[in-house]
Amino acid sequence: MVSVCFYFQVHQPYRLRKYSVFDIGHDSHYFDDVKNSEVMRKVANKCYIPTNKVLLELIRRHKGKFKVSFSISGVALEQFERYAPDVLESFKELARTGCVEFLDETYYHSLSYLYDKEEFKAQVELHRAKIKELFGQEPRVFRNTELVYNNELASFVQEMGHYDAIVAEGADHILGWRSPNFLYTPKTAENMKLLLKNYKLSDDIAFRFSNKGWKEHPLDAGKYSNWVSAVNGNGNVINLFMDYETFGEHQWEDTGIFEFLRHLPEQIFNHPDNDFVTVSEAAKLYPAVAEMDIHNFISWADIERDLSAWLGNPMQNSAAYELYQMGRRVKEAGDAKLLEDWRKLTTSDHLYYMCTKWFSDGDVHKYFNPYDTPYEGFIAFMNSLNDIAIRLRDAKKEKARLEQEAKASLELQSAVQPAIVAEPVLEAPAVVSLPARHFISESPSSLLFD
Amino acid sequence: MKVLMLGWEFPPFFAGGVGVVCYHLTRALCQQGVDVTYVMPFGPSMLRSDYMRILIADNLFPRLRLQIKTVGSLLGAYATPGSYDADYQKYLASLPSDKRAKALYGPNIFEEARMFAAKVRLIAQFEQFDVIHAHDHWTFPAAIAAKEATAKPMVVHVHITEFDKSGGMSVDQRVYDMEREGMQRADLVIAISNRIKDQLMVHYGVPDWKIRVIHNAAEPALNVSHDAGKIKETDKIVLFVGRVTLQKGPDYYVEAAKKVLEYDPNVKFILAGTGDMLPRMIERVAQLGMTDKFIFPGFANREEVAKLGKIADVFVMPSVSEPFGLVPLEAMAQDTPAIISKQSGVSEVLHHVLKVDFWDVNDLANKIIAVLHYQTLNNQLKQHGAFEVRNLTWDVPASKCVSVYNELMNMKK
Repeated sequence: MVSVCFYFQVHQPYRLRKYSVFDIGHDSHYFDDVKNSEVMRKVANKCYIPTNKVLLELIRRHKGKFKVSFSISGVALEQFERYAPDVLESFKELARTGCVEFLDETYYHSLSYLYDKEEFKAQVELHRAKIKELFGQEPRVFRNTELVYNNELASFVQEMGHYDAIVAEGADHILGWRSPNFLYTPKTAENMKLLLKNYKLSDDIAFRFSNKGWKEHPLDAGKYSNWVSAVNGNGNVINLFMDYETFGEHQWEDTGIFEFLRHLPEQIFNHPDNDFVTVSEAAKLYPAVAEMDIHNFISWADIERDLSAWLGNPMQNSAAYELYQMGRRVKEAGDAKLLEDWRKLTTSDHLYYMCTKWFSDGDVHKYFNPYDTPYEGFIAFMNSLNDIAIRLRDAKKEKARLEQEAKASLELQSAVQPAIVAEPVLEAPAVVSLPARHFISESPSSLLFD
Repeated sequence: MKVLMLGWEFPPFFAGGVGVVCYHLTRALCQQGVDVTYVMPFGPSMLRSDYMRILIADNLFPRLRLQIKTVGSLLGAYATPGSYDADYQKYLASLPSDKRAKALYGPNIFEEARMFAAKVRLIAQFEQFDVIHAHDHWTFPAAIAAKEATAKPMVVHVHITEFDKSGGMSVDQRVYDMEREGMQRADLVIAISNRIKDQLMVHYGVPDWKIRVIHNAAEPALNVSHDAGKIKETDKIVLFVGRVTLQKGPDYYVEAAKKVLEYDPNVKFILAGTGDMLPRMIERVAQLGMTDKFIFPGFANREEVAKLGKIADVFVMPSVSEPFGLVPLEAMAQDTPAIISKQSGVSEVLHHVLKVDFWDVNDLANKIIAVLHYQTLNNQLKQHGAFEVRNLTWDVPASKCVSVYNELMNMKK
């Protein structure tokens, strides 16, 4: 018996506009609405709408035996609401078939787990609420941004109490001789199941499908099903995890990717022992065969399968540090719009755009990059962050002023009615004063002015 | 493989980048086993002051098979028809009256190019070579002559076009005709950037299949040390180096400086170079109240450029039109981050720089401020940029030239 477990990742960031030094302190609109809506419309037409249609057909044709799982970031869902309500509607229709499962992730598709666990938890809860609101599901499976994973994360997610399973990359260096086609138990999270991506079979579709230099090209559903069936007897589940944009966007329609998808289920079902499962069904159906000890962080990116796509150079590290070191104060400032903007900057794509690995070769990073160079990505991001810092300072001032007023009126009241005991008002944090024009400090970490 | 190469300048006789390019290219070609005979016209002033130095240049490659042949001529690089006339008058005036009549040189630069062609026709008949390789238009008539005399295949190497020099405003029809004829008669055309290639296709009617783009490389970095002294204690330094002419965009540099200073008064701007726009630039700087923020050191030779590069915190090249642009490479080799215009050929090969549209003064100022203040950005550009420039070596364009030569010889059947 082999179960095929599809999980598709859907995500679109809020791309920054070319936010200039001259905008800092004057204009706090960081995001490129025109570009974001254009990208959303383009991907909707090339991928989301046609692929959702194919999936719906398949679910109906196979009478509920064809199943898939999705993880959709909160920022993608928001942008569907704004720019592509038809896409959202088609996902809801898929949800209503009962054959589609939604996973949880951080709402802002962030790396917050690495810097601020409270923020991570908050973003996961936000996502959970959004999925419940839109699709009526309470996810039982967690996937972290870019499949960033280690033991500690599994244990933290287990503590959150919602989840039975978690998905991660089946990286060679952690699997060794073991197979990704079984379920495992994360070390330190014994109540959870761990599903690892079969990157070979996943990448055959996601990356190699249209590669004419590949010896298996052209790939058809029959051939692929034979590879899947060959696992019979040596595995329980084949985890095909990939970006949903594979269909129609990374692999264009003229490569035959939709025809492949259309015929895949019937070819898989040709072998009577095969079926399709969602991630949580897989977790229920199959036992964990062993404990998996993953101490260092892994991810599904690049050859390295580590964090280096987002945190591999000093620009990325300093940008991430400056961003997250503000987090607590942004929340304390009590300005909802400020918090939302800051959270939109936590989306991991902003760090990805600053990646200099292989930049000269113009590879996959470049394809997804709205900037000409990683340096421009850094400049737009840091300029935006500098404006956030100014707003944070202003919000603190405003809060202090309000607190002073409240204190004064309380004092007035207590003078009249001494019986009422006033709660002690917290001392307002000292307002940072800074020279008018030196908004950016000279510190080596590109530290802002606070 | 034997190449008859025609150029109008060669170090130390050179006025611009093309002589330097010819020097590095021929040296790398010789290292790859190509036998180059370099023929250049030779002016009397050069004869007087620099004749021995040609032999020194020749001695640079004692074991390499490069020969320098000189042909008497007034033709120098960057001569315009106007300046050539003036030089020619001066030259004639310097001669005793009985010698004037015997002056071998034609009355104008076009005549000069024809004279050069006549001499090259003769040289071609007794030289052994497989292909003709000509650098820029003044040598094109000579290349055509050599081709006619020997029926050898010919390639012309375009470093700049008349449209770059004049900004497209005042194209000299005679120059244009000379360029165009050379390109039409050539079997293949080498363009030093895709920018040039586009111009050749649009303005000169050269078909796509005939053009090979071969980007220039960088000169090995000079090892210089320099100290900016007290300036660096308080201020950061922004650097512009280049002819102060419309083509190089010095006006955009000055306007961007104003915007930078509004944010950060502790910046000094160096504008090194001379040219017809210099007086206007000095006036504009004064008008904007930035006289104490600007330094005008005048023309800078290569060593001086390296020294300025060493002390600068960022180098800026806002060229309106730049066929290639070697200067940013000099600054980057001295560990200085560079901001270059997208309208430059060099931007086609550099990744670890910031790129701007030359007219976008706000973006230029934004990027200058970012490089000056975001130290991490500065460090990254510096490290990656210097590394990138070190890898732009001349053996790459030289081996591409060898491929072109092979193509030419196969064409011949």
